[in-house]
Amino acid sequence: MLGIASVRLAETLRSSTFRLALIAIGLFGAIVLTLFGYVYLSTTSYLRARLDNAVIAEQLALQKTYDREGRAGLIAHIDQRTADEIYQDSVYLLTDSSYRFVAGNLKTWPSDLIDTEAWNFRAPTWKVEPAQRAMLRIVLMTFPNGDHLLLGKNANDLDAYTANIKTAFMLGIALICILATMAGVLVTRRTVGRIEAINATSRAIMQSGLDTRIPLRGTNDEWDQVAENLNSMLDRIEALVEEVKQVTDNVAHDLRTPLTRIRGRLEKALHRGRDNEADQELIADTIANLDGVLRIFSSLTRIAQIESNAQKVIFREVDITEITGETVELYDAAAEENGTHLNFVSSQRVCVIGDRDLIFDAVANLVDNAIKHGRPAGNVAVRVAENSEGAAVISVIDDGPGIPAAEQQNVFKRFYRLERSRHTAGNGLGLSLVAAVARLHNANVELLAGSPGLQVRLVFPTNLNPSSPKEEGETNYTGEQPKHRSTSRAVKLNYLSESKLFVN
Amino acid sequence: MAAGHRHILVVEDDPETAGQLAESLTTSGYEVNVAGNGSDALSLGLSSAYTVITMDRMLPDIDGIEVMRSLREQGIATPVLIISALGEIDDRVRGLRAGGDDYLTKPFSFVELLARVEALARRSDTVIKETVLRVGDLKLDLVSRTASRRGRDINLLPREFQLLEHLVRNAGRVVSRTMLLQHVWDLHFDPTTNIIDVYVGRVRRKVDDSQSYPLIHTVRGVGYCIRAPG
Repeated sequence: MLGIASVRLAETLRSSTFRLALIAIGLFGAIVLTLFGYVYLSTTSYLRARLDNAVIAEQLALQKTYDREGRAGLIAHIDQRTADEIYQDSVYLLTDSSYRFVAGNLKTWPSDLIDTEAWNFRAPTWKVEPAQRAMLRIVLMTFPNGDHLLLGKNANDLDAYTANIKTAFMLGIALICILATMAGVLVTRRTVGRIEAINATSRAIMQSGLDTRIPLRGTNDEWDQVAENLNSMLDRIEALVEEVKQVTDNVAHDLRTPLTRIRGRLEKALHRGRDNEADQELIADTIANLDGVLRIFSSLTRIAQIESNAQKVIFREVDITEITGETVELYDAAAEENGTHLNFVSSQRVCVIGDRDLIFDAVANLVDNAIKHGRPAGNVAVRVAENSEGAAVISVIDDGPGIPAAEQQNVFKRFYRLERSRHTAGNGLGLSLVAAVARLHNANVELLAGSPGLQVRLVFPTNLNPSSPKEEGETNYTGEQPKHRSTSRAVKLNYLSESKLFVN
Repeated sequence: MAAGHRHILVVEDDPETAGQLAESLTTSGYEVNVAGNGSDALSLGLSSAYTVITMDRMLPDIDGIEVMRSLREQGIATPVLIISALGEIDDRVRGLRAGGDDYLTKPFSFVELLARVEALARRSDTVIKETVLRVGDLKLDLVSRTASRRGRDINLLPREFQLLEHLVRNAGRVVSRTMLLQHVWDLHFDPTTNIIDVYVGRVRRKVDDSQSYPLIHTVRGVGYCIRAPG
């Protein structure tokens, strides 16, 4: 425990926060010291000035007495003053011209003050009796008759006062320094503690895995916020890593099968004699297998490209009724082959800002899925319309088995295939592509349960139908949709109740 | 397949790929020059007249597209086939098909490359304005948009007619699925599903069923070719 504490303390003292605190304390101390110095100097000089003024006032009074009443009056005045309690702290000494005592409460003229300047107004503080260490502010004067007068006031109070101030200041500064240092250590310790928690988590993550999180203290302070943000970042990273792992596993799995087949075939051919016709077939099959492998790569790259191209694609106003109609027409042959009744319903021209190739590809994948995974000889309806909010919607509706509710969030994952469709043609990338295209168009992909079957809807965020000219007639937009449109329809995938769908 | 004096410049920095390209193009009757980098490609392209230039996009010194632009600036109008990795396809590459040029994504099959080179080589040939196209006993009337074999009308949808017309215009040559998607549907991506096959399959049934010989042939792994027997 002590060991940990001393490590903690060492860390605290090393920490940059503590260094900052020390600098702050130093600066603060210097300012306080200057302030104290100023207060001290101005207070003492004010007190001294007041004392001096009192001495001068008394001197003037004595001068007047002398002028009016002569030497006898002055002596009477001095005697009266020295007898008075109020003048206890005053010193009077009147001597003749050879410094012999005439009147006053000081018996002898201090030898070190003989023959000094008569109007030595700002006389140095002078100790009356060394034993008492009494301090005086004095004035010396010489009258026309040669008499000398020493007049002073006790400055002991001033001295004690300034000493008190000094002590208080020193104590104050010491206290401030101690308290500030303690506060610095405490604050730093807290900071170091929180940082150490983050460090420990980082180390744990580097050593073991992404499942550790930084503990929160529930104070909701900035540290908790940092921790929370880092934690959600970790959540995201963990999800991405998991996804990458899944995709890698799936790629590996999906590639192993054709590659193993190719290898086996080539090995067999190697041990067999050369037979032109068989070789021909083998090579053709091998190329077909390799094409399948390459197609997986192409699909992955295409999805990645769509996902990363968010800002680069130049979008135009495109007529989705036309695009969807063309897609349906293209799939007409496939539907016919499958015995599926494929029909296209649209009563109006609906436009969105987008990319024709991508929308075509996305709708093609949806129609392809509906035909492949719908009921054999069933119905597939494709609709293009505006919903009540004026958004463009492409719906692909089948009457097949649907997608179990539990599987719905999975079908957009790359390579994800429902168990029952594992043996049909396809690579599990179709809906990933649809999702990527939708995301690029700020559109939502919704899966809704049919009765029976599945309805997949591509809901576009904005409708630029010329019949409702709310939007300016611009035909060239770059990828970003107008702000007020896209904020309310953030890119998300809605999964609504039971349904079906797989991936081509 | 290729007649007359046809000269091709292959710009490719990987010697093995360049060798394979040169070999297959030579076998098809082209005379081939190879440039391993952008500056060689520029000087070769400027010094002699080529029918087609195939250009790898990733060259050690200059972007293939830049080489192409420089050639154009110097007045060289030779059609260019840019060969690009899928990840490098941007709007500039995509724009090639809108102009007279073309692109092909790596990895590609040589048959597809040949088909595209053929198509580009024909660009400079004079196109005769015909109103009727024939292959074997198949007759396409481009004015009335009708097709018939031995006088019997074939009932085709407009898009099916367009597809057949494209095949017939390229009779004897391989047309890849991507090329069909591009010319018939004006879509510029490589199809990941077999939908084109299904569509062509239906056209083929309409054209070839209960006839004395088939006209539409599948070229495995690449696409289709329409040709009369013999």
